Amino acid sequence: MTQSRRPIHVIGGGLAGSEAAWQIARRGVPVVLHEMRPVRSTAVHKTAGFAELVCSNSFRSDDAQGSAIGLLHAEMRRLSSLVMGAADDHKLPAGGALAVDRDGFSAAIGAALEREPLIEIQREEIFEPAPDWDTVIIATGPLTSEPLAETIRSLSGEAALAFFDAIAPIVHRDSIDFDIAWFQSRYDKAGPGGSGADYINCPLTRDQYDIFVDAVLSGEKIAFREFETDTPYFDGCLPIEIMAER
Amino acid sequence: MKPFGLTDAHKPNVKPYAVVQLRQDNKLGTLFNMVGFQTKLKHSEQVRIFRTIPGLADAEFARLGGLHRNTFLNSPKLLDETLRLKADQRLRFAGQITGCEGYVESAAIGLLAGRFAAAERLGERPSLPPPTTAFGALLGHITGGHIETIDAGARSFQPMNVNFGLFPLLGRKTARGAKKQALSARALADLDAWIGGTMHDAAE
Repeated sequence: MTQSRRPIHVIGGGLAGSEAAWQIARRGVPVVLHEMRPVRSTAVHKTAGFAELVCSNSFRSDDAQGSAIGLLHAEMRRLSSLVMGAADDHKLPAGGALAVDRDGFSAAIGAALEREPLIEIQREEIFEPAPDWDTVIIATGPLTSEPLAETIRSLSGEAALAFFDAIAPIVHRDSIDFDIAWFQSRYDKAGPGGSGADYINCPLTRDQYDIFVDAVLSGEKIAFREFETDTPYFDGCLPIEIMAER
Repeated sequence: MKPFGLTDAHKPNVKPYAVVQLRQDNKLGTLFNMVGFQTKLKHSEQVRIFRTIPGLADAEFARLGGLHRNTFLNSPKLLDETLRLKADQRLRFAGQITGCEGYVESAAIGLLAGRFAAAERLGERPSLPPPTTAFGALLGHITGGHIETIDAGARSFQPMNVNFGLFPLLGRKTARGAKKQALSARALADLDAWIGGTMHDAAE
């Protein structure tokens, strides 16, 4: 088999894997797309379709001039994205946002992948890439099955793969008021790669602090979804509202 | 939130009772994360409550806090610039497992991974999208733009949607409200040039 005829293996038929397989085929290279549903399902998927949208049906703002996500939509279209093409063909009215009919969208992507002669679809769970697969794309998403996750961890190291996220808010620096905030590291100590003024500090008086803690405790929270309820709180990653309680 | 080791630069004689700290999140220095503020507060509550913090009254958030079941790599450390695992270069990663967040972001990284893999298969050198494009900004963030911190606690690289804070600065002043448009115009112009260039390379 000539080099260019050897297939590329893509594991995972979600948004990323479907798009990757499509782009590979567009370059005339064969691809095998492995998707474990319906052989094995997940706690959140409801279908065995490609690019199933498991949460909202919105791709967010389509305004390329005003938002980074809208800009990304425009860039994707310029590169003949399968996902954007299907989204545009199955869009629903949603003001400035791009919302899609999730079933039509997923069916369109599935149909395109199945119709493409260079793409071979295998409905099976992959535990680890086979030794003779010389080019693999792993696109298995937030609910990567355990055996494969374990393989990835063994390749990349113990701390390399996280199983939950612990996301802190990020602020645009130019929206911070430096008449109040200031740069300083504790004890003016420089950390690795730092200058001793690596942190932005926002001061609170006692009253402000007490009001702030009350607000955090009483603010509305999002509950863990059923399949997440055994997500452990690691001590270093307690949500602020739990720390405030303790 | 204890104030030890810190002196309010604007009021050096008044010791703050508590301090909220933000730490640089990206090499560009345009994004700062609120240290230790992972939370399951609803997004609208976060905006309301965090804007009461002195200095953050007009804060604009590139990302809001959350805690979810997820599976993702420490990509800036583990992946090279074309999304290959440094420890085993036959494996590329794409989608949310790389730490991007969002449907379109996932598809975008999948698109790039597919193009890079195909280029290699065809004996070409993969061409990276310019960092001034949304593709390039997102790719760069995943593969190296994040500043890793060594403190204990939650791993510092966490999932992120695409946002203008990931883009290189314009290098010039713009009229009020025109910054996003200028970033966008630059991105699309640079993308078109890159597309023209790569078509040419592939044909050789």
